[in-house]
Amino acid sequence: MAEKANKNNKKKGKWTRRAFMLTGGVIGGGLLVGIGGNMYVNKKIKEYTGTGFGDGSSLNAWIRIAADNTITLAVPRSEMGQGVYTSVPMLIAEELEVDMKSVKVIHPQAESPYANTQLVAGSPRDVHSGFNIMEKVASFLPVVATGGSTTITDGFDNLRIVGATAREALIQAAADKWNVGTDDCYAESAFVHNKKTKEKISYGALAEAASAIEIKGIPTLKKQKDFKILGKPVQRLDIPEKVTGAAQFGLDARPDNMLFAAIKHASYHDGKINSISNQTDIEKMAGVKKVILLPEGIGAVVVADNTWRAKNAALALDFEEEGNDTLSSEEIAKLQEETIANNIIATPLDKGNVDEVFENSDQVIEAKYNVPYLAHACMEPINCTVLVDNDKAEAWVGHQGTSLVVNAINQATGVKKANIKTNITYLGGGFGRRAEIDMVLNAAHVANEMKGTPIQLVYTREEAMRHEMYRPAVASNFKAVVNKDGTIEAWENKMALQSVFYSSIMRIMPAMAEPPEKDPTSIEGAANLPYDIKNNRVAFGQLDLPIQVGNWRSVGSSQNAFFTESFIDECAQAADQDPYEFRKNKIQTKPRFLAVLNKVAEMSNWKTPLPEGKYRGIALHESFGSIVAQVAEISTQGENEFKIDNVYCVIDCGRIVNPDTIEAQMQSGIVFGLSAALYGEITFANGEVEQYNFPQYDMVRMNVAPVVKVHIMEVDEYPGGVGEPGTPPIAPALTNAIFAATGKRVRSLPLMKHGYKFV
Amino acid sequence: MELKINGKTHSVEVEPGMPLLWVIRDELNMTGTKYGCGVSACGSCTVMIDGVATRTCTFPASAAEGKEIKTIEGIAAAGQLSAVQKAWIQHQVPQCGYCQSGMIMAAESLLDQNPNPTDEDINKSMTNICRCGTYQRIRAAIHTAAKMRAEQSGLQG
Ligand code: FES
Ligand code: FES
Repeated sequence: MAEKANKNNKKKGKWTRRAFMLTGGVIGGGLLVGIGGNMYVNKKIKEYTGTGFGDGSSLNAWIRIAADNTITLAVPRSEMGQGVYTSVPMLIAEELEVDMKSVKVIHPQAESPYANTQLVAGSPRDVHSGFNIMEKVASFLPVVATGGSTTITDGFDNLRIVGATAREALIQAAADKWNVGTDDCYAESAFVHNKKTKEKISYGALAEAASAIEIKGIPTLKKQKDFKILGKPVQRLDIPEKVTGAAQFGLDARPDNMLFAAIKHASYHDGKINSISNQTDIEKMAGVKKVILLPEGIGAVVVADNTWRAKNAALALDFEEEGNDTLSSEEIAKLQEETIANNIIATPLDKGNVDEVFENSDQVIEAKYNVPYLAHACMEPINCTVLVDNDKAEAWVGHQGTSLVVNAINQATGVKKANIKTNITYLGGGFGRRAEIDMVLNAAHVANEMKGTPIQLVYTREEAMRHEMYRPAVASNFKAVVNKDGTIEAWENKMALQSVFYSSIMRIMPAMAEPPEKDPTSIEGAANLPYDIKNNRVAFGQLDLPIQVGNWRSVGSSQNAFFTESFIDECAQAADQDPYEFRKNKIQTKPRFLAVLNKVAEMSNWKTPLPEGKYRGIALHESFGSIVAQVAEISTQGENEFKIDNVYCVIDCGRIVNPDTIEAQMQSGIVFGLSAALYGEITFANGEVEQYNFPQYDMVRMNVAPVVKVHIMEVDEYPGGVGEPGTPPIAPALTNAIFAATGKRVRSLPLMKHGYKFV
Repeated sequence: MELKINGKTHSVEVEPGMPLLWVIRDELNMTGTKYGCGVSACGSCTVMIDGVATRTCTFPASAAEGKEIKTIEGIAAAGQLSAVQKAWIQHQVPQCGYCQSGMIMAAESLLDQNPNPTDEDINKSMTNICRCGTYQRIRAAIHTAAKMRAEQSGLQG
């Protein structure tokens, strides 16, 4: 991982797959201004996006200070519960020398200073060595988006530089005023102090003068030991308004004269509605204003005077439609088998000679694993509100990609990008679903047909669940040879799945699509295992199906951790070794992995046997630059009935920004992974999704949620992500515990399907 | 029909069968109460009707006539956060926050009926869904709120 972080920083000039997904069509219409120098702090762009900033002077695009010392910071990342409205200000405030209490947050428009370089270039912007070409591309596109657990990785250095540069300008302004050297001044709690005279001046009184001062070079950043804010648990800035009902989500937008709209999609995935047979009847229903068939017949929208009337009318729509009305989950399972047997398209890892080992061994272990399609099921149903008026448009939406919203509205309406204003609200959950643009395209299309009236389009829970971009169903077939001493002599993993990468890019930017065999998400968490394996092959085949698949919290790792960490347990069993010791022996040259695994063993008292009726399982997985190990502890309640008592979770995410947020994200990721492991399954019959709503697609609730104990390693390495890495290890940790309890290996999810109950 | 919400009477003209949720959100524009499933499965839409936590996405508005309706906006009395709200901040409960109006209403109602609930009581009565998985902190916050309420009533009594 240390290795990985460094490598990450050197990996220049290469597009990441998330870049493809999140750039959208911004190419060709981006804001080509202000490149050169550090985009984050470039003075030319300091007046960017006054919207919402309020009074005062801009020190750069991120910081405005008012005369009364109110500090307003731009947070161009989306707050979906992962705490960026606090962590981004923390990074700036640390160097700016202001207290978190005096900070206000606004969400700016999608403009170049706010680009997420990590997402595009695969590395944070390197302010020390100037811009490489991909960083420049990232800057002028700009890709203002949130995903892939990149906010901190992108901003850890740069946001501190943003704060430090502004602080230096404020100090310079004070020194000029007092006619002393800057060495005679220091900054603290939004004041500049004069060391000699003990005078002080507020930032507010200095801001105007400071905004005209150019700071050359990059100020020295604070040492970790001097941090006052970073690494300490900081109360989140968004929480107070989330306990009073005041927090605004996309569905809470209420622009004047707004109408409500509900969608009904075509029944079949990739299907097409040719006509609406009862349009006139629907248009006569109470409150209904208009019925609109969407382009390509992908669905129809009813506009009405409230959501209730719109959704009832949409439900009553009758379609003449066509599409694949035979597709079924059984057929998909068969196709997966055939694909693995006959249609492997890529072998991204082929080390040593796997075949030779298998041929010469009579001890080959084999196992077939699979997982189903999964829905994101964000708590806030998918929605978007758009107003198109003359040559302008405005959107209110909780979305992961501000620039994608602008792009989609432009695509659907033709309104110039410069004339599109976004209001990015809180997201009622994102998990990858809110990086898609379908809701924006559809709302914009309807708003364009009803110019002058804001339209709030909602997907009812049923529509949201039955028509989304699922985590793909995946089959994974393993073969291994494990020596008596526990060495893994050979390992082979052949998978069959739909390509998330290909499916996403075809929706957003088909011109830049790369073939499915190039998809790195398919093997994410399968080909980069930390274990010493002598001969190792990881290969996959692609299923071509009319189902849309997309990024689901932790993406490839969401299935691959379950597959690999279960099969590693099978290998341990074959060698007759303890699952922890077995793993430990194979990561001796990986100190960060080893430390995390040892810590989780210590926390869970792994070496002490549990009392009668209690069992445990372990898993270790790296994703998004962070290493997580978990131990699940369960107790038998009855026949095939368990309680998940405790989950011990250790994370190494490098340097720590807000430990309370990291803990919360681990707890959250674990519950998210458990809902999938216990209940999550989207199935197809006759071309349609069989699950409609929570009664068929259930979630872990209070009674099942385990107590999660989190330990965060203190590691002085560049930070990794925390929003996703908590999810992957929980399924295998749990199923390994079930194996310990029952002697039965769980090779497919969800557990509910095998008759297991959790209380 | 006339609806009394957070002490104020509103008159609305809607079909009697229209669920209370949509009257509150779309007719009265009080958006603190959330839509999550529409089938009484998630609890996002929970408000108190005559003191009882009720899922309003399936509750006809007409059935709430003449009753005291309290939404999340009516919880902070005279600008003072309730014990539950304070405990929610202390334990840093919300993540995305979308489910939390419903969670807080359910917790207020639980504590009204059972001032000192055990974990088991909490498991039984808090059946709302939080997709962000904030359950552990909700449980801790309910225990803290129970203590705060007891102290408050001790002071008053
Ligand atoms: S919206 Fe009412 S219970 Fe889910
Ligand atoms: S905080 Fe996001 S659903 Fe509960």
